Amino acid sequence: MKRWLAASVVAIALLGGCLRSERATGPAGTAEDTSPQRGGTLYRRLETDVVSMNPILATTRYDRLVANYLFTPLVNYDDELRIIPALAESWTISPDGREYTFHLNQKATFSDGTPVRAGDVLFTLRKIVDPQSEAVQIASSFEQADVTRSRVVDEHTVVIAFRESLASQLSQFNNLLVIPEHVYGRGNFRNDYNMDATGSGPYRLMSRVPGKEIIVRRRGDYWGTQPYIDTVVVKVITNETTAWNAVQRGDVDETMLHSDIWMRARSDPALTKKLDFRQFYGLAYNYIAWNERNPLFADKRTRRALSMCLDVPSIIKNLYAGTARALNGHFVPDQWAYNPDVPVIPYDPPAAKQIFTSMGWLDTNGDGIIEKDGKPFKFDLLITAGSVQALTIGQLYQNALKGIGIDAEISVLDGATAIQRILAGNYEAAYLSWDLDPDPDPFGLFHSSQIPPRGQNIVYYANPQADRLMEQARHELDIGKRADLYKQLQVILADDQPYTWVNQPAVKWAVNRRVRNVRDGKGFGLFLWYPGELDWWISGARSAPLRSTSG
Amino acid sequence: MLVYVIRRLLYALLTFVGITIGTFALIHSVPGDPVLFYGGRLSMGGLSPAALQAIRHEYHLDEPLPKQYARWLQGIITLDFGRSLVDRREVTERIAEKLPRSLLLNVIAFVIAAAIGIPVGLWSASRMGRLVDRGSAISFFLLYSLPTFWVALLLMEFFSVKLGVLPLFGVTSDGYAQMTTGQQILDRIRHLILPVITLAYGQLAIFARFARSALREVIRQDFVTTARAKGVGEGGVVWRHALRNALLPIITLVGLTVPYLISGSVIVEDVFQWDGIGLLYFDSIRTRDYPTIMALTVVTALVTLLATLVADLLYAAADPRVRLEATP
Repeated sequence: MKRWLAASVVAIALLGGCLRSERATGPAGTAEDTSPQRGGTLYRRLETDVVSMNPILATTRYDRLVANYLFTPLVNYDDELRIIPALAESWTISPDGREYTFHLNQKATFSDGTPVRAGDVLFTLRKIVDPQSEAVQIASSFEQADVTRSRVVDEHTVVIAFRESLASQLSQFNNLLVIPEHVYGRGNFRNDYNMDATGSGPYRLMSRVPGKEIIVRRRGDYWGTQPYIDTVVVKVITNETTAWNAVQRGDVDETMLHSDIWMRARSDPALTKKLDFRQFYGLAYNYIAWNERNPLFADKRTRRALSMCLDVPSIIKNLYAGTARALNGHFVPDQWAYNPDVPVIPYDPPAAKQIFTSMGWLDTNGDGIIEKDGKPFKFDLLITAGSVQALTIGQLYQNALKGIGIDAEISVLDGATAIQRILAGNYEAAYLSWDLDPDPDPFGLFHSSQIPPRGQNIVYYANPQADRLMEQARHELDIGKRADLYKQLQVILADDQPYTWVNQPAVKWAVNRRVRNVRDGKGFGLFLWYPGELDWWISGARSAPLRSTSG
Repeated sequence: MLVYVIRRLLYALLTFVGITIGTFALIHSVPGDPVLFYGGRLSMGGLSPAALQAIRHEYHLDEPLPKQYARWLQGIITLDFGRSLVDRREVTERIAEKLPRSLLLNVIAFVIAAAIGIPVGLWSASRMGRLVDRGSAISFFLLYSLPTFWVALLLMEFFSVKLGVLPLFGVTSDGYAQMTTGQQILDRIRHLILPVITLAYGQLAIFARFARSALREVIRQDFVTTARAKGVGEGGVVWRHALRNALLPIITLVGLTVPYLISGSVIVEDVFQWDGIGLLYFDSIRTRDYPTIMALTVVTALVTLLATLVADLLYAAADPRVRLEATP
């Protein structure tokens, strides 16, 4: 075995010796480092391959990350989560809030050279709302759209009408990535455009090899602000460790990292010289859902007491090394709807025990489990397979609950099974997480009308007062008044504890220092706000020779 | 012999139908709904119940299972496995895209493992009881026990990150299209080295151990003793008399390994981003992509059946007893 290994080492040395490529970072500290330069190639990592290049059929975040180079939405978000013009230069909203008039940028063209017309916007909208399209991710953004009343006013003006006035509607136009009718109007919309793309974005698609890479190149004829970087190579690397090795070697310039790798690497001077270790808070949180159809969790005192048994401060300190935040309720601090005055529920098992005792939960038979009316306090905590962190938190919680006489059983299920059971209401408690929309409207999550299959009120929460606030807020076009309503809602949700809010973990990233001007936007992090990744530039871009790396 | 061949073919056909029914029943009894997973995902988006129902209808998932099965079987016969629920592309196209990649990697690893493992195992058995034999037995066992993902990461860490002599992942480098043919071949070989080593070392240990025990088994038999008694030299005994008999079980093992050549390895494909059948299989099961899972299962089953059929026939050709048993 030893000899065999030695022989292969020799062979590898022979094959690789001549090709060992130089991987030095660009020259540091020169004048070139401070002023933006055009050119260069950015190597990005994609955790999962794109499902479809058709932006209307995008199903994952990864689809959108790539689409953002090739297409332009009607409106964008800036780094403060404010809505700013994109393909639409300006817009007006009718007094009843049901008609949006968009004035398109007159210079805008698609990558095939044709101008972007109002008709293309209407075509895109029709495709989104057409059930035949199966626009899994964005159909719900335009559920209230009234296609028959929507109309083209002139070449560059379009009116989009809705059956209902919704305060969140304007922000949803960020999901309307305009596609040209003369291209996408032919053939089978769902099957024929998954490998190719024609959009009005700053880059055009050069090639795509499924499972390997997507290459986009800057359009010389781009109508908007030209980005600096010439070529972006998006490489699919599913394995986390491989990606980490790749970013260390310089095969890719950026990757998201698991907390443990990120925390270890951040203190290594050799690595920090080459890589910038970033963290930011996205619009996402972890929570435990309590199914209120189960009599065990119907009383809000129970849910509150259960929340008091989860040691959030210790989880944040020990599992996340401080890179996570405790939450006081549904809204997260980066949202304008956030209410900072609501206290976070403290970790206090003795007080929880007192609440249970006062409710009549006592261990009468001495088996260590509290009972009421002869029924022991037992439940199943569903955890989706794959997340070590979720399982660890589940086990810590299980232990803490045991301490006050509650028997929580952990059942780990794979994603597909878990989703089916949760949407069917066939669970007791579940450890889950949400990716939130930039608009704070929580109607789909907590309004009593939104129980599955209609919405995502998977906990069957119903509070008339909360219902009223959510209804009012979603029709309130004045952002100040709307924020006030949500601040009141936050108080009610915190009091009712339909969820136990576990934490909002920071997203961790490593970015090669040759990439400059990498800034983060509130809620979005590094990508998808404007200008975001479209404003990056590469140090030494002009002088760098073409690399021959792997991947 | 002809009767035997026909019987085997009939068995194979029956087994195939059994496998399709089994696969179909199994995949439909696993909890988790592909349509819910695809469209009703737990996120702020998601399709309306009506749209979900429309997808179910389109894929005939709302029909009774026997009818679905019949429809699917009909498709198989014309090699139409339908479209993937995930990306809407033809399942045959998705498989055709990844199969050559997996095949290339697996065949090379298999050939290397067999070419090294079998001779080494035989050689070690011929030195039965000596120190080299025991030593190699232990080292094969150790080799076999090393977990693949760990070895893969160690190899990667050492050769790609520390030494930087081999590519980290993928099938080819950037700029592959601009290379000369010679460079392209060299580039492919460089990308193959680490995945092949990772795949081959475990197989090599299996082959070696199997060859060793097969030969040891034969050496203990009476006819070998007879050969020795006749005065045949030790080398002649082992290589001429015993080896031929020991090869039979080895051929069986090789036959049984053939299906793995197309089924791919999830771990190796994931770590080295060698986008092939293994990852496709894994992802399809995770997302309950029925059309893809069933197509892959059928293809694997077919290859397995063919391989065992060929092995059976070869066996019968080589060993008259097998034929006699089969004749009523």
